[in-house]
Amino acid sequence: MKIVVASGKGGTGKSMLASSLSLLFSEIKSIVACDCDVDAPNLGLWLGVTAYDSVETISTSERAKINSEKCTGCGKCFDNCAFGAIEKINSKFAINPLLCEGCGVCQLVCPTKAIDLAPVMNGEIRIKKTKWGFPLVSGQLKPGEVGSGKIVQELRKKADKISHDIMILDAAAGIGCPVIASITGCDYAVLITEPTPSGFSDLERILEIVNHFKVPYGIVLNKWDINPEVSRKIEEWSGEKFLGRISYDREVVNSIVNLKPVIVSKSKVKEEIREIFEKIRGFI
Amino acid sequence: MHLIASTGGKGGTGKSTFAVLLALKLSNQGRRVLLCDCDVECPNDHLLLQQKLTDSEPIYQSFPDLDAEKCVSCGTCSKVCRENAIFWVKGKPPIFFEDLCSGCGACWIVCPQNAIGRKRKVIGETFKTKINENLWLLTGISEPGISETGPVVKEVKRRALKFAEKIDAEVLIVDTAPGTHCNVIQALLGCEKAHIVTEPTPLGAHDAALILELLRMMDIPSEIVLNKADVGDQSVIKRISDEYGVPITIRIPYSEQLIRAYSAGRLDRMVGLL
Repeated sequence: MKIVVASGKGGTGKSMLASSLSLLFSEIKSIVACDCDVDAPNLGLWLGVTAYDSVETISTSERAKINSEKCTGCGKCFDNCAFGAIEKINSKFAINPLLCEGCGVCQLVCPTKAIDLAPVMNGEIRIKKTKWGFPLVSGQLKPGEVGSGKIVQELRKKADKISHDIMILDAAAGIGCPVIASITGCDYAVLITEPTPSGFSDLERILEIVNHFKVPYGIVLNKWDINPEVSRKIEEWSGEKFLGRISYDREVVNSIVNLKPVIVSKSKVKEEIREIFEKIRGFI
Repeated sequence: MHLIASTGGKGGTGKSTFAVLLALKLSNQGRRVLLCDCDVECPNDHLLLQQKLTDSEPIYQSFPDLDAEKCVSCGTCSKVCRENAIFWVKGKPPIFFEDLCSGCGACWIVCPQNAIGRKRKVIGETFKTKINENLWLLTGISEPGISETGPVVKEVKRRALKFAEKIDAEVLIVDTAPGTHCNVIQALLGCEKAHIVTEPTPLGAHDAALILELLRMMDIPSEIVLNKADVGDQSVIKRISDEYGVPITIRIPYSEQLIRAYSAGRLDRMVGLL
């Protein structure tokens, strides 16, 4: 059983909720938590993890390099690169490492075989047995590297190898490759949003992805009381998919400052999250 | 023309809020401004400015289109595809998985029969909106299901630079997506300064450090904008600021009034915060 927490918009409370759901599910089943936001992984912080048991550097992409001695400056690579990763410097060409996707097109078109591709160690997979008893598998794309979706796939493979009944996946913001890689193959999606026009609009965007993969889902409304009117609208719009509301509480900020899941804090939101958990349990 | 970015690593820290406030402030001072929403997966600047997006201009990308009559089932295309988007079994024509295809073109370049053509597919769109005499908004939005949004941002930026020239803008403000990967890198390219909008929590500090690593690699000078400055623990951001030698130049206090204005699309009332 795989449950993914996603949202489209950033900062709506994905990791806050995923960390609490992990603790709650671990009370009844064996779980593994996965931080699939490999750009900016925060689930570990919510679970009080500051150091990992194992860190493995991985390569999920390659990068081109132009041998300037062999380059004749014909520009075929420049003309064919779909990612704008080739720059003209004086009369020769060079790869901009920040933009190269490692597709190999430049190598295919180069008439003088001046281009080689080499693997890049672009990410890390980190594992930690948390103090809450269950393991966390976390990924990190190195800043400036490409291939976040593939790192998500790798970390999911690692997590699959750890014995568990339930996998909780915390997705990145947005609806692009790392998010698609997180949602695909999941059994249930918890979509968390906030009562603002942006939160609503981004919820509709993430739903297009969730529906594309035909993943059953439920909707959670966080900080509902910052705008009760918009909250009512989202709740009505969600209909039977509505899982519950979470209040705005400054105590949540204190929780993260102390690196503690809100479910073990003094915040009133822990009761609300427990109700949401019970509902999700009923669905799966 | 000045090219300035609003970014931050973490989501929901106030990147769009800051970008919109800065755009409104500069335009109120009589400067001509183009705001470019490069968070193409979830663009929100138009919502904060209460604008409807009209007059779409599509963004196209080429994807492979197999001519089954010409194909001799040699499998050369599947061997060069590094996205594993082409499935081939000996003796059968290849099957293309569009969801995995990045549109790099390796397959049509190598096909010995010229059996792979190109079909244009919409990967996103842009919208131009006039906000006031001095302020324009250019919004980029990706087609849902498009996995690689970097190329969308690249085209949005190209159009923004062209449009900024046309309207004689003095400042182009680029609002990026959260994160640090290709869509953010494309948005940050060529910027002369980046504002890192963050919040005083360990999450904000952790993600600000990641984007600062990227900005350092890109050689873009940065400043920190501390949002919700009085909620949480400022010392964690101070540490990052010292470590990277990047000053905290703006502090925006937590304000229920700001949240309400954000929610109601009336950030114009809050320009005084900057």
